[in-house]
Order: sequence, then C-alpha cells, then structure tokens
Amino acid sequence: MLWLLVAELRKLIRPLVWGTGLVITGFCLLITWGGANNARGALASPRIPDVCARAATAQCRQVVAHAHAAARTAAAATSLLAQPGEIGHVAAGMLASVPGLLLIALIAGGHWGGEWGSRTIRHLLARQGRRTLVLAAKWLTIWAAGVAALVCCWLVLAVVAPLIAAAAGLPAAHASMWAGLGSSASAAGRAVIVLGLFAAVGTAAGAIARGQLATTAITAGSMLLALLVAGITSIGRLSPASFVQAWMNFDTAGYLPTNFWSRFVSGGQQPGELAGLLGIVLTGAIAAAIARWRFSADVTV
Amino acid sequence: MVCRVDVISCEGLTKRFGPAVAVNGLDLAVSSGQVYGFLGPNGAGKTTTIRMLLGLIAPSAGQIYLLGRHLPDPRAVAQAGAMIEEPAFYPWMTGRVNLEVLGATGGGCGPGEAARVLHLAGLADVAARKVKTYSQGMRQRLGIAAAMLGRPSLLIIDEPTNGLDPAGIREMRGVLRGLAAEGTTVFLSSHLLAEVEQVCDRVAVIVGGRLVEEGVPAMLGTIRRRVRVEVAATDAQAAARLLARWRARHANGHFLVEHDSGRDVNGVLVAGGVVAESVIVERPGLEDRFLEITGKQDARAVAAGS
Repeated sequence: MLWLLVAELRKLIRPLVWGTGLVITGFCLLITWGGANNARGALASPRIPDVCARAATAQCRQVVAHAHAAARTAAAATSLLAQPGEIGHVAAGMLASVPGLLLIALIAGGHWGGEWGSRTIRHLLARQGRRTLVLAAKWLTIWAAGVAALVCCWLVLAVVAPLIAAAAGLPAAHASMWAGLGSSASAAGRAVIVLGLFAAVGTAAGAIARGQLATTAITAGSMLLALLVAGITSIGRLSPASFVQAWMNFDTAGYLPTNFWSRFVSGGQQPGELAGLLGIVLTGAIAAAIARWRFSADVTV
Repeated sequence: MVCRVDVISCEGLTKRFGPAVAVNGLDLAVSSGQVYGFLGPNGAGKTTTIRMLLGLIAPSAGQIYLLGRHLPDPRAVAQAGAMIEEPAFYPWMTGRVNLEVLGATGGGCGPGEAARVLHLAGLADVAARKVKTYSQGMRQRLGIAAAMLGRPSLLIIDEPTNGLDPAGIREMRGVLRGLAAEGTTVFLSSHLLAEVEQVCDRVAVIVGGRLVEEGVPAMLGTIRRRVRVEVAATDAQAAARLLARWRARHANGHFLVEHDSGRDVNGVLVAGGVVAESVIVERPGLEDRFLEITGKQDARAVAAGS
C-alpha cells in the first residue's frame, strides 16, 4: 500500500494540481484583499440611513454614532482575522466550502477520472489488481492534495494578509500575531474532515463517470445539489451540506468571509456538531460503497 | 498454492456483452518458457481474452489459471507484465518516471530496474524526456519496457511491434526470444503473421470468439499443401472438370488444388488430355493458412446467419 501511495503521490506532481492550488490560494488572497477594502470603505463612510444623512436630530446622531462604532468594530474584527493566527479560519473555511469543493472536483477529475480518459487505468490495474487498494490510494491522495492546498493557503495568507490589512489602513488588531491560532487549527482540523468527504465523493464520481470532465462535473454537481437541498427548510437538515455546515459551524465576523457555504444553507433547525460529523462519515461511507461497487465492474477502456 | 503446470490455462472461457458473445468456450494452455502467438482477425476476441487474463474484465463462464492461480487473484496478475493495445502513459512525466511510478504501483522494483528495461527497450537516451514528446514507436517501446519491469515470469503483450521501424521490429524479436530463453513465458497477440511465424513456438488462431486452430507455426503452415496449376485458356473448362475430384479454386488463369501431390494432379490432367503450363506444389505460409481458416469461419458464420 505504501508503494502504491508513493506512486499516486508522484502522479500529483503535475501542472493541473499546481495550477488549481495556485488558483485557490489566489482566490483566498483576493477575498482577503476585498474584505480589507470593504472594511476600509465602511470606516470611511459607514452605512447611514438616508433619512439621517443630513439630519441633525439627537436620534440621528445616535444612529450615525452607532454606524461608526459598528464599522470600527467590523474593521477591527477584519484586522484581527487578517492576522497569521486567525487567518487560518479563512483558509479552513474556504477549503471546507465551495472553493475547496471545486479544487477537489478538479483534482479528482484529473487524478482519477483522467486515468480512464487516458486509458492508463489498464496498466494501473494490470500491475495492481487489488481494486480496493487502488480506490483507497486515490481517495487518500486526492484528500492529501486538498489538505496540502489548505496548508499552503494558510501559509500564504499568514504572510500576506497582515500586509493587506496594514495597506488598507485597518485599525491595529491589538492582539498577538498568533492569537486565535488554536481555534484556527481546530477549524483547519475540521476542514480536513470535510476535505475527506469531498475526496470520497470525487473518488465515487470517478468510478461512476470513468472520465475526467464527467468526474469533475459529478463531484462538484452532487455537492452543489446537496447545498441547494440544504436551502430547503423542510428537508435541508438531512442534506450532506447541512452536515458540513453543522460540523464546521461556519459564522462570519467582520468583512472578510470565512466560507462560501453558510449563506446557502437554510436557517431552519440544523443538526448539532456531532450529528454533523456522523452525517459526514455516513455520507463518505456511502460514497465509498458506491465507488467500490462501480469499480468492480469490467474495465473496457 | 500452485495447482497447474501451465502458465496460462483457460477452460471453457466465455465472455458475453449483452447478447453478443465475444469469447465462446475458449480452451488454451500455454506452457512455461514458450512464446505463444494469439492470432485472429479484428473482433475475434483476442483483446477480450487478454483483458480476462489480466483481470480487467470478468469471464461470463469458464476458468482461468494464471501462473498456477485461479483468477480472480491479484497476486497472479501482479506477477505478469502486460502491454495492452496502444500503451498509455502519463504525458507530463518523463519515460523514466513513468516506469518508476508503474513499478511502485505494483509494489516497487529494485533500484536501477527502470534503467535496465529502458536500456533493453532502446530508450536509455530519451529516458529523461517527457512522454508527450515521444513518437508512437517510442511509446510502443516504453510499453514493452513497462511490461518487462520487475522481470515477470509471464509477459502478455498485445501487438508488440506496432509503430516500430524494421530495425526496431528485429530488435524486439531478439528481446522476446531472449526473454523466452531466460525462462519468461511470452503470450503475444499480433496480426503480423510473419512476425508470429518467426518468434512463436506455438500459435492459436481465434475466430468469432472460438479457438479454430492451435499448434506449432510450421504445422499450421504446412498441414495442407496445395498445388497451383496453370493451363492454357482453351483447356480451362476441361481442367476444371478433371480437377473437380479435389477441392479446387479457379482464379486469374490458375487452379489452386487442395492436394499435397503435384504428381497426382498432373497425372489426372495428362490422362484427361490436358497439358499443364506449370504445376507447382505450394507450402502455404501461416498467412495463407490464417486467411483460409478465418475465411472458412466467416463463411460458416454467414451460412449460420442466413
């Protein structure tokens, strides 16, 4: 198994994986840049209702003061989130939500679906006939690629995000650079579990689709469908997307978004954290069973 | 547990794809150290058989024993080196890295193993180039190098000389014979009958999923000699009447008589008053025999269909 993992990891050293990782990291940087700019804009001109824009009543002065205070609080929160310790929340949240899903879908398409499209699956199976091991190696390496992207994203953000916050003129964070490292690490740990789920879905998609584009489409499509279902109040809590939401416990602070997931999930009653984890494990197990079943069929490419 | 002497043994091997029968009750026995040719026209079931031997597809019926193990058994497949149809590789990797990855996939090869097979396949000079820059012939050589990784005791190769130039074909023939001399069993599917005739110890001919002929190439080629008779156009009708006692075909002013004695044929013609321009006893090559066998099978299939 170790040799097989080594072989699969070497296959990941390819432009597709580097490129996708770079795009995700770049996206996280853009989000941070955008969040910092929004915070600066809000500091300069807080959201004040039109009715109070030129009025000088006591009530309006109170509203304006409140708006300035809220903008300062949000800007401070953004500044704090942009510190190397806290920024892990952004990296974890992004990788455990839609951007991470798309990353895994692309890698699953190239790394697993591509074996079918390029017909290399024949030689792979001719040398390693234990199909369960092949599936496990594919799953683990797709997962590993996602985790590597998470670490890379966090490291790059840890270096660049404070610079972005400073350049935007956000208030000082008044906290150690590494404040919030523990909770960030916890979020990253949770994101690793979610990436495992995405990788399991990608592995099943490859076994079903047996082609690069179709694998990418099924991986992304199935989880986006789950996200749509999660928006339906009556049945949303049974969707895998709700399990992810419950497990990650996504929330927002300041102007820097920490995920692209929670806004799609219904505000109705959600499963608890443990139920979310169990749901993720169950969904992953179902994906693994589907992958094993489909992969046992004849290989005719 | 080794329970069979033959390296490959198939009994009643059958594969159906829906209503279509790709391989029908195939019995094969390949002994250790042989170079075994597997011949057949397109759609005969050769590749389907190879895929079943490698565990890529499951038989609908029948048994396969590979290296003494009853399939499905990944351990047996792992001991065989294989090249199936056009070899496929990871284009972003070099030839050497492709081989190292394939070696690791099967459980790892010794250090220098990739270099050894690259040298054997004549690719040592281009080992550091990415596979996407390789010509078709280079890819073919790399496929054979990949099959030889780890010194397998059985090589299963589909069309090994596709895309190779004449010098490459000669080299490949030498490599295969050398492997057989070292005790490696080689099972090769090919449509290049001359190639099979020169390289193989035994040959099986498969048509319509059925084994129709099996034996040493020389036996297949000479089992039925024939007599080619040339007569003047004015004598053609009389000759046809006289030669009707044997199976004979008339084409382009020649008669091809299914008989092994030119003396008998000439005697009948002379007795009937026909003087032949020429009487030649032919020993058909494997190609003629192959076409004859496959032609008959096709004709039977047409007759069965009508």
